[in-house]
Amino acid sequence: MAIAEELLEKEVSTQTPETFITGSKALMECLLAESVDTIFGYPGGAIMPVYDALYDYMDRINHILVRHEQGASHAAEGYARSSGRVGVCMATSGPGATNLVTGIADAIIDCTPMVAITGQVASNLLGTDAFQETDVIGITAPVCKWNYQITRADEIPEIMAKAFYIAMAGKPGPVLIDITKDAQIGMMTKPFEYKKIDKLPGYHPRIKPKAEQVQKAAELINSAKKPYILVGHGVLISEAMEEFRALVEKADIPVASTLLGLSAISIEHPNYMGWLGMHGMYAPNVMTDQCDVLIAIGMRFDDRVTGDATLFAKQAKIVHIEVDPAEIDKIKKAEAPVVGDAKEALKMLLPLIEKRDFTAWKKEFRDLEPAEHAAVNERDFAGEGKIKMAEVVRMVSDKTKGEACVVVDVGQHQMISARYYDFKKPHSYIASGGLGTMGFAIPAAFGAKMGAPEREVVAFIGDGCFQMTIQELGTIAQSGVAVKMIILNNNFLGMVRQWQQLFFDRRYSFVELQNPDFITISKGFGIPGHTCDDRASLSESIDTLLNSEGSYVLEVIVEKEENVFPMVPAGRSVSEIRLK
Amino acid sequence: MKTYTICVFTENSIGLLNKITIIFTRRRLNIESLTVSETERKGVSRFTIVIKHEQREAVEKLVRQIRKVVEVLAVFGYLNDDIVYNEIALFKLPTPLDSKPLDMETINREHKAYIVYWDLDYVVLQKTGTEEEIFEFFKYVKPHGILEFVRSGRVAVSKTPKGLVEYLPDEVEWEYYL
Ligand SMILES: Cc1ncc(C[n+]2csc(CCOP(=O)(O)OP(=O)(O)O)c2C)c(N)n1
Repeated sequence: MAIAEELLEKEVSTQTPETFITGSKALMECLLAESVDTIFGYPGGAIMPVYDALYDYMDRINHILVRHEQGASHAAEGYARSSGRVGVCMATSGPGATNLVTGIADAIIDCTPMVAITGQVASNLLGTDAFQETDVIGITAPVCKWNYQITRADEIPEIMAKAFYIAMAGKPGPVLIDITKDAQIGMMTKPFEYKKIDKLPGYHPRIKPKAEQVQKAAELINSAKKPYILVGHGVLISEAMEEFRALVEKADIPVASTLLGLSAISIEHPNYMGWLGMHGMYAPNVMTDQCDVLIAIGMRFDDRVTGDATLFAKQAKIVHIEVDPAEIDKIKKAEAPVVGDAKEALKMLLPLIEKRDFTAWKKEFRDLEPAEHAAVNERDFAGEGKIKMAEVVRMVSDKTKGEACVVVDVGQHQMISARYYDFKKPHSYIASGGLGTMGFAIPAAFGAKMGAPEREVVAFIGDGCFQMTIQELGTIAQSGVAVKMIILNNNFLGMVRQWQQLFFDRRYSFVELQNPDFITISKGFGIPGHTCDDRASLSESIDTLLNSEGSYVLEVIVEKEENVFPMVPAGRSVSEIRLK
Repeated sequence: MKTYTICVFTENSIGLLNKITIIFTRRRLNIESLTVSETERKGVSRFTIVIKHEQREAVEKLVRQIRKVVEVLAVFGYLNDDIVYNEIALFKLPTPLDSKPLDMETINREHKAYIVYWDLDYVVLQKTGTEEEIFEFFKYVKPHGILEFVRSGRVAVSKTPKGLVEYLPDEVEWEYYL
């Protein structure tokens, strides 16, 4: 600590030129320069100088005190996903930093821009097993787009500029900046100056695609007899919704979305056929076996989309529009890869695409719908026995006119929400897709509301998931913003139970929950709520939730052993899709 | 199995070795050898990584993953025919008083190996060459008994007329040593 104390003394001495500031203050100035208005964080020993500096910036930077650092990283994700801006979270060294890791890992796989700031022990103590010293750089290297340890105050402006650039550029992702305590306390030895950057020697993603690649893609699309578009998260990330719609309409191609691509195009669009994947819809899945040209935009052929990738769309030629070159040919070989930002690529592609009419081909998709409706929807809405998750989601969808920002956790309720909510506005389905992180929804819904205060945020959460980050109810209550939470309580870890029923001979191994009284707990945190157990009062219950001025928790007791269909069994071909 | 030599040009920063090796370990790829040194451009390091793989495609995918590391400036993957390469090995052999003398003529002429150090009861021979040549020499000296044997990773330059660093991004003014 000697160095730190010495530096502290320096700070109070009069020798320092007025223009020089401490590392912590420099960090605050960097955040302002990047227009950061919200930070989700939790203090502790190694980050205290930063919190002390924050005290003077409270009027300009809204710091949200979470209840667990995992909540901070998920809230930062929710904020980023609803606002399209970098989410910022902050924690102390050691356990604070390790608690952030789940959210960071979630952010890298779902391409969510995030800057995570962690405190670290003073640089002279690094490697000595000092109190709360953890090798965060080592721990987070595999799950960060970039990470860096700052040991001198002078480094702060340049490194923070890099951090914000890398988090957003190309394919967004999380960046972790670890700042030793002496760098926080220490004075800069030069005047603070912040220069935003827009490229780096080792990182300069291609935004505008090569004209030849676009040309080749256009030729393939124009030659197609049965073209089919899969739209992914990338279109939402690059805000290419208008360009995308223009292409779809001009070429008249049927579209399906991936789970995270939901809401990239309105559900009401006549070319929209639904979403595909393990629990996706019937026609979007099986038609991957029928198309001759598959146009994948801003998606990465995740195994939850393809099932057995070797069999997936094997008859089709593939056009793959993607900003990350490492995704090209990673899972599916592309005849016409287009490396670049979706918005730029679509802008260039549009004038080269011929106007077509695929009425008959689109009808082939629609013709498959009655079978799915008969097998799945009719059961879900039969109105018998206990309330079904589907009824709740559909009713909320109708009452919010399909315009809410829906945040979901992981499990059956996640799939049912995707299936029955009628998304009409973009950025409206916020889910942990790639990592499937239970506990995502409460903090992410809160973050989403902070990132888009004008939107109504409704979260669908399983009873298992709710208990993973339940403590963030405290954060929500303290903040005063309105998050509408619906617990779809089936008293089981439903999705796991479904697999045990279907693939493990109904051997229910540790999936039944003895749940707490969720409403008493919510009230204890200061959030009102009530339980709905019968169909007759469901509509009124949802009204109460939606009309409440502040946050609200509605627990709906749903059918215990309901299964989600359609389902493509893991690792199988989409043609093996089951409707029951 | 084919041998691939992957040349990675990077900024010289702490922790980079870890960021690169985890890309291999995550895919369960065994690194046969690895050499890192600074290049003719100041601040640019060069990793030479040798792996064996059955599928060229997998190696291409790997190269693209390495490119994603922010501090990585450029990555090139080569087959043996595309490069000039060598390794260096040191052999410590015992030379007790009663032992059969080493045939230095054969060692020098045929194996192009040299004595780089000697003491009362041992010598250190240095042999430069390909993995196979070093292995040949290993077999040759084995009957003498080997006290210690160590072999470096591969170093390689490409058989292209231009220096590889010419292909690095030119946004930055790299300072040349030369
Ligand atoms: C952190 C974490 N642990 C375990 C899992 C595995 N898992 C996936 S879904 C699920 C069950 C979720 O149960 P619940 O919240 O009750 O939702 P339901 O499926 O019943 O809708 C589990 C345990 C996971 N995805 N994330």
